[in-house]
Amino acid sequence: MDMSESAGLDSHAWGIVGHKWAVRLLQRAITTQSISHAYLFTGPAGVGKMTLALAFAAALLCQEEGAIPCGRCRACRLSAAAHHPDLYVVESEHVGADLKIEQIRELQRQLAVSPVEGRRKVAILNRFEEATASAANALLKTLEEPPAYAVILLLAAEGRLLLPTVVSRCQHINLRPLPADVIRQALVERGLAEPEQAELLAHLSGGRPGWAIRAVKDKGLLQRRAQLLDELHSLIGAPVSARLRYAEAMARDPVVARETLELWLCWWRDVMMVAAGAEASLTNVDRYSLLRAHADRFGFARSAATVEAVLAAADRLERNANPRLTLEVLMLDLPRQ
Amino acid sequence: MRVSCLQENLAKGLSIVGRAVSPRSTLPVLGNVLLTTDGGRLKLAATNLEIGISCWIGAKVEEEGAITVPARTFIDLVNALPPERVDMELIVRTQTLNLRAGRSEANIKGIDAQEFPIVPTDDVGIHAIPVEAEALRSAIAQVAFAAATDETRPILTGVLLKFEDTRLTLAAADGYRLSVRSIALPDPVPDPFNIIVPARALVELGRISGEQEEPVRISVTPTRNQVLFRLTDTVLVSQLIDGNFPDFRQIIPRQWNTHTVVDTAAFLKACKAALIFAREAAHITRLHIKPGSELAPGHLIVSATSAETGDDVSELDATVEGEEIEIAFNVRFLIEVLSVINTPQVSLDTTTPSSPGVIRPVGDVDYTHVIMPMHLGR
Repeated sequence: MDMSESAGLDSHAWGIVGHKWAVRLLQRAITTQSISHAYLFTGPAGVGKMTLALAFAAALLCQEEGAIPCGRCRACRLSAAAHHPDLYVVESEHVGADLKIEQIRELQRQLAVSPVEGRRKVAILNRFEEATASAANALLKTLEEPPAYAVILLLAAEGRLLLPTVVSRCQHINLRPLPADVIRQALVERGLAEPEQAELLAHLSGGRPGWAIRAVKDKGLLQRRAQLLDELHSLIGAPVSARLRYAEAMARDPVVARETLELWLCWWRDVMMVAAGAEASLTNVDRYSLLRAHADRFGFARSAATVEAVLAAADRLERNANPRLTLEVLMLDLPRQ
Repeated sequence: MRVSCLQENLAKGLSIVGRAVSPRSTLPVLGNVLLTTDGGRLKLAATNLEIGISCWIGAKVEEEGAITVPARTFIDLVNALPPERVDMELIVRTQTLNLRAGRSEANIKGIDAQEFPIVPTDDVGIHAIPVEAEALRSAIAQVAFAAATDETRPILTGVLLKFEDTRLTLAAADGYRLSVRSIALPDPVPDPFNIIVPARALVELGRISGEQEEPVRISVTPTRNQVLFRLTDTVLVSQLIDGNFPDFRQIIPRQWNTHTVVDTAAFLKACKAALIFAREAAHITRLHIKPGSELAPGHLIVSATSAETGDDVSELDATVEGEEIEIAFNVRFLIEVLSVINTPQVSLDTTTPSSPGVIRPVGDVDYTHVIMPMHLGR
């Protein structure tokens, strides 16, 4: 029998899609009063790191002091409106920008004084992989000797992008992409999508409920994906000059470049799976005929090599290689008709 | 809410609480002032989550209520109103505050008072310790400047307040200097305790207690999170800094090899002259102390040298006991401490050029200031 069931915790999983084990672990930390001073939540963008962090924060700040926020007290109302004076969310100005040392210093100044309303202060540092080296080093001091009332939640795409000294000072919780079923069910249960659309979004989301929910609300997201895939398809038949022009345009905006590479990676992985005859966990199910066509034309080895090439390019961009050169090299490696 | 008060009272109240407003915070409500009817008075409050100030002004309350309005807009508006009666009314549906004074009328869009952080003002049920206002003000002036402004060691950005028997001791240190002041309490404290208050909060307390004559009542909330300073019609509440303050008594040297007594104003003037050159040389200023003989007085020679701008030497008469010594200090630190010493003469105790110097007002045993020396740089 499930332990948490007997403890009556699972009746309310903080309203989070999936990640039951993580919710249970954090709830148990509250009930047994064994809360760490710092946690690191990792996982791809949209997997639910911030949702989990905000729910944990709400439970930590709730005046009832239970594992499940009561939702009625003043603290819960303020948390729900993101107005709680003892809850700090620190992040870079926008995706792709730096999280600066000044922001860490400001947070340290705020954490240095006792909580205003409750017994705790909770700081959420979003996309901590964007922290500059000096910002990350500055935070080390707080991670080593945090005030007794402080709980620090670091969010990052991957632990390996952070300083090992930071990671080793946190309880690390890695959120894995969710099964498509779980996401489909959540979308339907919450009345966000009809079953058919939910099925598609669940597959396209790559296991990230946040992405699926965003796609429901923001129609542009799906259109953008469709456009990028159309472009990818036409690039395959395009001459080298057109490919290089495309690389140049992509290189101008690092966010677009990252997004495009992510999509390409996902596409070529699907092509590779189709070519290998393993079609159980495809992402781009809505374009199956095109996947099939690519798989037939390029075969397993060629598509696997393309996956490698895209991965290598993404990795180089992450390491600050010249974006235009990196993308041009990738363009020359893309399979051609 | 429907309330009337005098423009002057409102303007004065706002000038007191206005300093705690934090306009650039991520919480928009912190840029606002809270207005609450409280008995027959109007309470104004502002907080930046570190310091909260509440102030009561006389008012005629016709209907109870509360609202927060943007501080900048409200303060500018009130200052622009004629010195007459101001009538304020809250339009609940739109959370808008309507103001009328003389022939002007204005509406300010507010934020629900429920969103405003709780700023405690109540010391009922907590033991409050009265402290003489003037003594507290001068102790803050003599100590708070020595606290660190660098956030890497949060503890040192605070001032230790140590309550023991009939004494309150304030201490601050930033790693280069230490300032300690002890003042008498009218009544003994039942249980000794320590708190660390952010230096910024005490500086603000010093500012708003300028006209205070009655004792300031100090109390700590039962959760030991906050300290309340209660003045007449005003309460300043500050969050506390968590942790243990370094044992400052260990830092104060117990003996000296050279004891120098000099005129405070003359020493300060010599330091200000030295600063002109020292500011380009890491603020290094040398003190050459020479004992006198039976016939001639001793000397304190203050000098600073800059490779670019030149040099400066001031010779002061001094009463010197012990050995001759040459020692260097950061002249800014000397100026800061000499500026808050109120006695005509000041003493400087030194042992070696690499050990800290101790500065005390002559005739006042309750103030001690310790400064680390700098390398003589020869």
